[in-house]
Amino acid sequence: MTPAPADLSGLSGRFLAMLGPHGVITDPVRLRTYECDGLTYHRATPAVVVLPETAEQVAAVVRACHETGTPFVARGSGTGLSGGALPRSDGVLIVTSRMRRILEIDVENRRAVVEPGVTNLAITEAARPYGYYYAPDPSSQQICSIGGNVAENSGGAHCLKYGFTVNHVLAVELVTPEGEIVLLDAMDPGYDLLGAFIGSEGTLGIATKITVRLSREPETVTTLLAAFPDVETGGVAVSAIIGAGIVPAAIEMMDALAIEAAEAAVRCDYPPGAGAVLIVELDGPHAEVAHEFARVDAICRESGAFAVRVADDPARRAAIWKGRRSAFAAVGRISPAYLVQDGVVPRTALPAVLAGIERLSARYGIRVANVFHAGDGNLHPLVLFDDAEEGAGERAELVSGEILDLCLEHGGSITGEHGVGVDKSRYMPKMFTAEDLDTMQLVRCAFDPRNLSNPGKIFPTPRLCGEVPGVRKGVHPLVASGEADLF
Amino acid sequence: MTPGEALAATGVDARAAGPGDAVAGVTPRWVALPESTGEVALVMRAAAEHGLAVVPAGGGTKLSWGYAPTRCDLLLDTRRMNRVLEHEAGDLVVRVQAGVTAAALASALGEAGQQLALDVMAEEATVGGVLATAAAGPRRLRHGTPRDLLIGITVVLADGTIARSGGKVVKNVAGYDLGKLFTGSLGTLGVITEATFRLHPLPASRAWVTATSPDPRVLTAVATLAGSQLEPSALELDRPGTHGPLTVAALFEGVAAAERAKAAAELLGDGSAISSGPPAWWARLPGERPAPDPAELLQETPGGHPTEDGPGPRLTESSPGDRSLEERVPQGGGFLLELRVPPAFAGRALAAVAWASDDAGGPPVHVRGSAASCVLHLAVPVDTPPGAAEIFVTSLRSEVAGDGGRLVVWTAPPEAAARLDRFGPVGAATLMRRVKERFDPEGRMSPGRLAGAPPAGSGT
Amino acid sequence: MDPELIKDCVHCGFCLPTCPTYALWGEEMDSPRGRIHLMKQHVEGTPLTPEMAGHFDACLGCMACVTACPSGVRYDTLIEQTRAEVERTHRRGWDERAFRALVFGLFPHPRRLRALRLPLKLTERLRPRLAPLLERLDPRLAAMAALAPPVPRRTLIPPLVAARGERRAVVGMLTGCVQAEFFPRVNAATARVLALEGCDVVVPPRQGCCGALSVHSGRPEEAARFARRTIATFERAGVETVIVNAAGCGSSTKEYADLLAGDPAWAERARALRFVDLAEFLAELGPAAERHPLPMTVAYHDACHLAHAQGVRAQPRALLAGVPELRVREIPDAAMCCGSAGTYNLFQPEAARELGDRKAEQVLGVGADLLVSANPGCTMQIASAARRRGEELRVAHTAEVLDASLRGLSPAALGAP
Repeated sequence: MTPAPADLSGLSGRFLAMLGPHGVITDPVRLRTYECDGLTYHRATPAVVVLPETAEQVAAVVRACHETGTPFVARGSGTGLSGGALPRSDGVLIVTSRMRRILEIDVENRRAVVEPGVTNLAITEAARPYGYYYAPDPSSQQICSIGGNVAENSGGAHCLKYGFTVNHVLAVELVTPEGEIVLLDAMDPGYDLLGAFIGSEGTLGIATKITVRLSREPETVTTLLAAFPDVETGGVAVSAIIGAGIVPAAIEMMDALAIEAAEAAVRCDYPPGAGAVLIVELDGPHAEVAHEFARVDAICRESGAFAVRVADDPARRAAIWKGRRSAFAAVGRISPAYLVQDGVVPRTALPAVLAGIERLSARYGIRVANVFHAGDGNLHPLVLFDDAEEGAGERAELVSGEILDLCLEHGGSITGEHGVGVDKSRYMPKMFTAEDLDTMQLVRCAFDPRNLSNPGKIFPTPRLCGEVPGVRKGVHPLVASGEADLF
Repeated sequence: MTPGEALAATGVDARAAGPGDAVAGVTPRWVALPESTGEVALVMRAAAEHGLAVVPAGGGTKLSWGYAPTRCDLLLDTRRMNRVLEHEAGDLVVRVQAGVTAAALASALGEAGQQLALDVMAEEATVGGVLATAAAGPRRLRHGTPRDLLIGITVVLADGTIARSGGKVVKNVAGYDLGKLFTGSLGTLGVITEATFRLHPLPASRAWVTATSPDPRVLTAVATLAGSQLEPSALELDRPGTHGPLTVAALFEGVAAAERAKAAAELLGDGSAISSGPPAWWARLPGERPAPDPAELLQETPGGHPTEDGPGPRLTESSPGDRSLEERVPQGGGFLLELRVPPAFAGRALAAVAWASDDAGGPPVHVRGSAASCVLHLAVPVDTPPGAAEIFVTSLRSEVAGDGGRLVVWTAPPEAAARLDRFGPVGAATLMRRVKERFDPEGRMSPGRLAGAPPAGSGT
Repeated sequence: MDPELIKDCVHCGFCLPTCPTYALWGEEMDSPRGRIHLMKQHVEGTPLTPEMAGHFDACLGCMACVTACPSGVRYDTLIEQTRAEVERTHRRGWDERAFRALVFGLFPHPRRLRALRLPLKLTERLRPRLAPLLERLDPRLAAMAALAPPVPRRTLIPPLVAARGERRAVVGMLTGCVQAEFFPRVNAATARVLALEGCDVVVPPRQGCCGALSVHSGRPEEAARFARRTIATFERAGVETVIVNAAGCGSSTKEYADLLAGDPAWAERARALRFVDLAEFLAELGPAAERHPLPMTVAYHDACHLAHAQGVRAQPRALLAGVPELRVREIPDAAMCCGSAGTYNLFQPEAARELGDRKAEQVLGVGADLLVSANPGCTMQIASAARRRGEELRVAHTAEVLDASLRGLSPAALGAP
């Protein structure tokens, strides 16, 4: 059972006045449907849910929370995999799913202005008629919201070449944890607060309007599916491709168990008998792609691929990607329950870490399916277990944790794209020192001194902010005259 | 113990400062020359105990950028922190100390056929300085700016705290990204001591297309090229005279660079030329003193895949302290401005520059920068009267405001400096100030270098 | 509600963008994921509250989520079980009960529908003027009146339509309730197309309802009664394959064996008959008759019960593409329901209207001469939404388009009001 939600009826009344009955949820049965995001392992029923439709409404809700010292959590589509949108039973859940207008597709300036509830794919669909697209493409792109992408700094299969959300967002209008509407713009001089805000997992405020860069569709896209007898030989091919000075748009790998799940779910029809498949996508000007493709094809065969398929039209590319994109949820077909991890290792450490995962799997008698972004070393081990079996969940947790230890031992990270959220905050001290974490929290103190915006996420122990000593020496004439803020 | 004794007690190399160590006219009392993050922390703790104002410095090539510090007791010279700490070629990642120069880094990476895909605009610029100023050159179009390539950072705060964020993997979302925060901080949040970058393979070949046109109408072709599928790595413009002709140049990288350049030349029309080397002004700020030797300039620009052309020549590093900071400033004390507008408004921005110059009595303005991203550098001669400079800045700023443009005055001669609002209105000025107060509550890190007019209506 | 089926949901949210009510309201409780969560709450002991029932009732049953789900959650089965549970345990208000009784007492009964023909014909001109009054009285009645199509001339189809040319198959044909009474041209076209393609078409007279409306509204017992009667009818007709041309009927007849699972003998009899969609069948059979050109552009609309419930998407498109000079255009957001959804536009008129408006906008944006779909409910719904925008939309069933091509008719013959 989750803790009973707190009584925030006074605050709910204010929200009703701001948003109307359509925008406030207080019915306990309805509230419970918001108890978790895409990570169902952690649950908490929010005390109240609000569904604002404008930035002003978000700001009004946040100001009321700030005045009353009530914690609040923002949620988009609720597809996060680290519990980043896990509600607070003593707080307000601010859902942006009704803020889903595409405000502008500005082809001339290669940008789009959207509200946070717009889905990632909707931006691409709106830009496609002009020959443009939005580059970051998390596997959940048809449903995940751009607001959530900003909070998590989402990646996707193509970030090997094109980078992450942070590399494609030009400006964010946000509601600060004190309820002010502020614009962070990449064109502004000074600290890159935009960069710091993206990936802050909702702890520095709520994005209410986002300007993203649109990218020109490449002239040619070619996708290659290579089947290998095992993950090791696939890994050799990955190193050889990178070593040849080629940066594909994506290099993805799936092992036998992940292939089995995807086949069960979407009949993706990968070459039978593959111990691993590698998906390599090349895009760009035709002449470049043709050259790179020939190299990649040769490398895969030399490295031991026993079947290579090529797709250069959208339908066949989609067929190859179908299996990969459905892999997470598809695992539900071969296992009653599973945990997803998101560790990252330097690419050169992939073989050692995969072997380590295999050893862990054998030692605990827990199956692990591997689906990963091989190009940038981002592993997604799916730790399978039967929740009906006594102790299986605990063992899966152990395996999961040890996989992260393994990643850290090899100089990696505990999360490549899912975020820390509530799920991995306990691993943060293994990756960072107390000083590192305290320093990061200085940023939080600047934005949210009362610790009300998505508290309990990222950091295992909150830093008390306290008051800033007002020692300022030497006054610049512009400051004295009130014309500038000097720092 | 006096501050000087305290600094000596750290065991870190330090010396008394001389006039050659002045930062934008402010002469420090001491110069510390640490060799590691740990040594920086020792120095910073000593400085904290004695309330010393600290200005970190690298190659000094952009030390004159921003407001002059209101105080500077200690200059923290990072140029002895010049080691490449880790370079795993297979991971396309490098970890370096902040004092490594761009030239040294390019040479080390070039041996492995790799590069940090930034065009650093001065040989002596250090990694730390590039980050602190967020400076980027032509290839920002394809690869972004320092913040886009930085994946991990180590900093030392005003109180000596060592903090790290990010890591050495290209994909990592654990914790806040302090690297982003410190990008563009001009030394006001702390000292950047180490940085980790993602790398790119050196391209197999490069080709440039240049075209000179009597007026900005060529920008229409530039926009077409920017929106084409030819994928230029950079698209630059250079306009030496306020109303004069305009040269545009596009860079293509890859196996088929020449082929793509040919297609681009057709887009740019008659009179465009293809070359295997950059135009002389490529990746240089306008208004710089002429480089001592054009041959050296070409060598510095990373080019040619090692398997084809052999590794680039290793550049010898100048020993720290052999030239004064003032001497290392390439602009020679004139005005350097940075104008940013959304890319579709490039033509209007150029027109605005010309109008603003006319308003100010016609000081010549040399414009150069990215035509496709529309980040333009403007050089105005040092002898422009302060009043005229003020009119130019005010007029241009208001002219581009409607298009969402920004104008920053990076450098200005001392007489004009006091009168200019260097940064203009910044929407997040209040949040920036609050960040500064948390990181440096005593205001001892490069105090006063960064300032922004608060956004209209926010009472601060 | 089967807890095992509920457990299959991993809460990934891939169903959300396909759900019409989530598209309308953006609320978790009105998404498949949220509804499954409500089901879970109920099986774990939370009583079925009126709020819960409201969210279940709001589901259109379009099954787009079933197509989208990577985990293979059987939402179709779950929502049917849930609807039955709602009918069993949830006490609706008197007006709602009365309206439901009216609908279920009317639609599944061809003879009662037939009895309505005369009054409908007589009031055809009066209804638009009555609309505001009905709207005030009860929006559901208004919706019902607005949707009622013009009453066409009756077309009687003989009990056996013999194959033209070489006989390639013998099939039965389900005539349906609404289809038979209000869209007799579709049934006539279906029979002709089948015959021209070499099928003996057996059309048993006095067919009843197949039970689709009942099974989709939580009335399994009633549905089972209809199912048994339909099975018996076609057994008597001596066919093994039964062609269905209405999407809703197609999906429910295909699931007879599941519906009758409690009665093994009847389930066995259900399995012995093969119900198949017209397009699916024709695609399998392959073309034999000559296609004449139809120089026109059509927009093809996926009926949910064809595309999502039966997975029939490619076949109708392929059939249309096989007609010379006919261009087929895709409608954006094709997987999204038009809001018709069986009786949905009667029970939830506001939501249905909004979805209809969205769909009509997208259909009109395609700029086609004709809207083609395999479900009369969809075309009625979209055409009436277009009418609200002041546009007249020509609509036709896939069978009518093929019929026109096989018989060499002019494009103008299609979709005339």
